[in-house]
Amino acid sequence: MRSYQTPLYFLILVLALFVVLTALGGGLFNQSEPWQFEWQHQIFSGLCHQMPERSFWINGQPMAVCSRCLGIYTGFLAGWLLLPALSFFEFKEPSPVKKVLVGIVLINLLDIVGNLLGFWQNTLVSRLVLGWLMGWTPVLLFSGDFFKSKLKSKKDHHARITTDVGK
Amino acid sequence: MQESQQTLENEQPSYWTSVGVAGLIFGIIAFAIGLVAAYAIINAEPTGGFSFTSLIGLLGCLVAAFGGMLATWHYANEYNAPITLGQGALIGLLTGICITIVTIILGQLWQLIDPDMMQQMIDASVANLEAMDMPEEQKQQFIDSTVEGMRKQGSIIYQLWTGVLAYGILNLLTGMIGAKIFGKKEADSTI
Repeated sequence: MRSYQTPLYFLILVLALFVVLTALGGGLFNQSEPWQFEWQHQIFSGLCHQMPERSFWINGQPMAVCSRCLGIYTGFLAGWLLLPALSFFEFKEPSPVKKVLVGIVLINLLDIVGNLLGFWQNTLVSRLVLGWLMGWTPVLLFSGDFFKSKLKSKKDHHARITTDVGK
Repeated sequence: MQESQQTLENEQPSYWTSVGVAGLIFGIIAFAIGLVAAYAIINAEPTGGFSFTSLIGLLGCLVAAFGGMLATWHYANEYNAPITLGQGALIGLLTGICITIVTIILGQLWQLIDPDMMQQMIDASVANLEAMDMPEEQKQQFIDSTVEGMRKQGSIIYQLWTGVLAYGILNLLTGMIGAKIFGKKEADSTI
């Protein structure tokens, strides 16, 4: 397997890890101040509603983001960690992934609207799963950008090697 | 060879117009959402709970993270230029910083329009905490730390570092995704 743009890959990995650890909130580190004013909550205050009843809790404190946002961030991190393995499924064109991504965004919007209008009641876990899919899918766009499998064999390469040996 | 690469780099259009446009649009959106949420807290009845206005929060969720994507889309369309993933990440990061700065500037300007907003928010939060069912000593401790926390929130330095971290990192990621989605085919060869 060959790697490309390694510094960028590791930069994104570190940032995604930081985002996930921050999103888990102060409960993970047993912080004692009121959770609304922990730096983790402050960082995400403009990005997430942070409603405690729609968030998972750790050590008696809600996480700094809701369950859907947690799903998005952990999904992205999981996908990014699996990117070397995903390179075996390199997509020649990103359009199928784009369509899947648009579909998942629409499903998430539908879930939000349906829940708001009272058609159904989503749960912490259902929101986490839908968010996870929304975080994981964009990573598929990058399969083949950072790692490329050496296992691919092309007929023209075989022919060239055979000719060289013959000489 | 090096010279021609240098020339190509020099010919690359500046990112700043795209960064400025996306930063301004999403900065205003983020500020507006924050403002509506702040007044919702001020006008809410003290219930003793932490349930703030849900609808605004739900709609505002993650919106400001898409500035990077808008900036790369604008850049790709406006200049018809190839964008590498690294450039997309940089455009996104700069957009995130721009969103933070716009939000802070608008916040400072709003203080001229409504100088009492922060105090009203503190009063509303204290009233909400006083309605909570908990021992008096613990309640007082909670109120003190809440007031201190809200004052800290108002400082520009604090807003700057939390904003740059949140908007910067997330827009960096969406900028990179934007580069992949909206970037022209030629970008692949320069990666």
